[in-house]
Amino acid sequence: MAKLSDRTANVLVLGAVVSGFLLLMGIGLAGVVVMQRNLTFTSRVAHTYKVQDAISDYRVLNERMETARRGYLLSSDPGFVRVFEETASALPPALQRIGDLTRDNPTQQARVRAAEVLMREQIAVARRSVTHGRSAAANFAQDAAVRDTRNIRALTGEMSKDEAAKLVKRDRQRLSSIGQLIGLIVAAALVTIGIAIGSLWIIWRYTRDLARSRDELSRLNEHLEEEVADRTAELSRANEEIQRFAYIVSHDLRSPLVNVMGFTSELEAAAKPLTELVEKVEAEAPQLLAPDAKLAVTSDLPESLRFIRASTQKMDRLINAILRLSREGRRVLAPERIDLSALLQGVVGSVKHRADELGAAIEIAPDLPFVVSDRLALEQIFSNLIENALKYLKPGRAGLIELRAQRRGERVIVEVVDNGRGVDPKDHSRIFDLFRRSGAQDQPGEGIGLAHVRTLGYRLGATVTVDSALDEGATFRVSLPASLSIEAAAA
Amino acid sequence: MNDSRHVTIVMVEDDEGHARLIERNIRRAGIMNDIRHFTDGGSALAYLHNDESGPALNGPALVLLDLNLPDMSGTEILSDIKSNEKLRRTPVVVLTTTDDKVEIQRCYDLGCNVYITKPVNYESFADAIRQLGLFLSVIQVPEAEA
Repeated sequence: MAKLSDRTANVLVLGAVVSGFLLLMGIGLAGVVVMQRNLTFTSRVAHTYKVQDAISDYRVLNERMETARRGYLLSSDPGFVRVFEETASALPPALQRIGDLTRDNPTQQARVRAAEVLMREQIAVARRSVTHGRSAAANFAQDAAVRDTRNIRALTGEMSKDEAAKLVKRDRQRLSSIGQLIGLIVAAALVTIGIAIGSLWIIWRYTRDLARSRDELSRLNEHLEEEVADRTAELSRANEEIQRFAYIVSHDLRSPLVNVMGFTSELEAAAKPLTELVEKVEAEAPQLLAPDAKLAVTSDLPESLRFIRASTQKMDRLINAILRLSREGRRVLAPERIDLSALLQGVVGSVKHRADELGAAIEIAPDLPFVVSDRLALEQIFSNLIENALKYLKPGRAGLIELRAQRRGERVIVEVVDNGRGVDPKDHSRIFDLFRRSGAQDQPGEGIGLAHVRTLGYRLGATVTVDSALDEGATFRVSLPASLSIEAAAA
Repeated sequence: MNDSRHVTIVMVEDDEGHARLIERNIRRAGIMNDIRHFTDGGSALAYLHNDESGPALNGPALVLLDLNLPDMSGTEILSDIKSNEKLRRTPVVVLTTTDDKVEIQRCYDLGCNVYITKPVNYESFADAIRQLGLFLSVIQVPEAEA
């Protein structure tokens, strides 16, 4: 199975969750709509029931009035008259109620109107028959009230039938809307389950991939540690070898140099009586003195000796520098807690005299952090950097050297910022090489300082970089581990 | 007789130039003692132990020792001298290019009497040798125990 990238997994999970919620919201809305429709249908059904109720009330009254009339006509019992009057007065409002309830239904309205006409005639005829006693009794067959009653019965029967049909239809609608609601709920449940399963599947897959890559990583890590340990051992072996080599070479170079210097001095010493002799000969017997011989003794010889001496002196300085570097590489570091402010003040104090001579100001920023590191190495690093800054000021510009430091995570960045002549960007890496210098060679030095700084820096686990352009000053940045561990110091 | 003039200076120095410079400066300091020069450790040890005029058998001596020798380390010769019953009182001046603190310490631990670093600066070097010459003119070197 293809591995899911973090991004894809995130997008998928987010998409699933969002679409799930959107779907659920949609389903909820649909539910509300369906419920409302259901409510409408239910109220319509209730309304139809009400209409049916009114119709059947009317029909009962209708039958009851007829029955009361007949009862009276048959028995002449005045109680029937009372019942008759009661029902006769109740009939119009009953019909009126049907009319009110079915105002939206033209068919039923027409029927109500027809029934009203019939009812009026029926009541009038019936009342007449009740008032006039039995005279009409014999003729029920031709009695208009009987016919009206029958017609009303038929009419209201139809109305009732209509309403019943309507009831069936509305009930079906209601049921179907309930069905829709249930369907919707089921759909929502299914969708939710689907989304849940999908999300779980993606999360499970992602977690599994994550676990797998974590295992892989820890495996690699273990391996890496071994590898790093191996490499470190190799490196420190190589480093030791280089240092030993540098040490031996510089010593062995020194030995012949002692001879060169020594015999040069002997030559100088020997040249002295020779010069005196030449001077004497010149004074007493100039004809004996060849111009070549005079030139050789008075000018060539001392000049040659001077060059030999200058070169050997320089060579001695270079060899000493290599020796110092190799010795520095072997020194055991002693990490301690150091207040950078105090350390830098000490360094600045040692160059104050020179800074005053040059009219340069050195400013140390307030509130510098503490570091745990090797004091001597730090002092050498910063004194080299500050001396360099003083050495390479821009003539005609008041020197200003700023020292800043800040803690960034596990490291402390110390900056030595000057406004001096700067370093050409093409020389930025070169200036850290041994015996290499940049720009006008108008200052004494062998090109050792920055190489020394970098070597010391490496031992402290620090990197030293420069940021500069010609004529625009330079910023030397030392990135130190905030806390130099003893193991690192021993390595 | 315990005359310092009879003290033989045994110089163990593989570099002919250094040896010559040392000798010249010793002579300039007015020290006229015999100087026996050896360019390797083996012959120097042979002289010290077995030569009839060597310090083990006869006459007092002072050893000028370079540490960087082709066949062995100067410290080996030093420890050999200082662990030998007959030689251990012989003064040893280590005169070498090494100015490593550890090395200097080691030499003193082994019993070296004076440690001098050969400086490239010839004037200091010549000075050091002349001082050594003065030193040679006043030190008392023990007689060999017969």
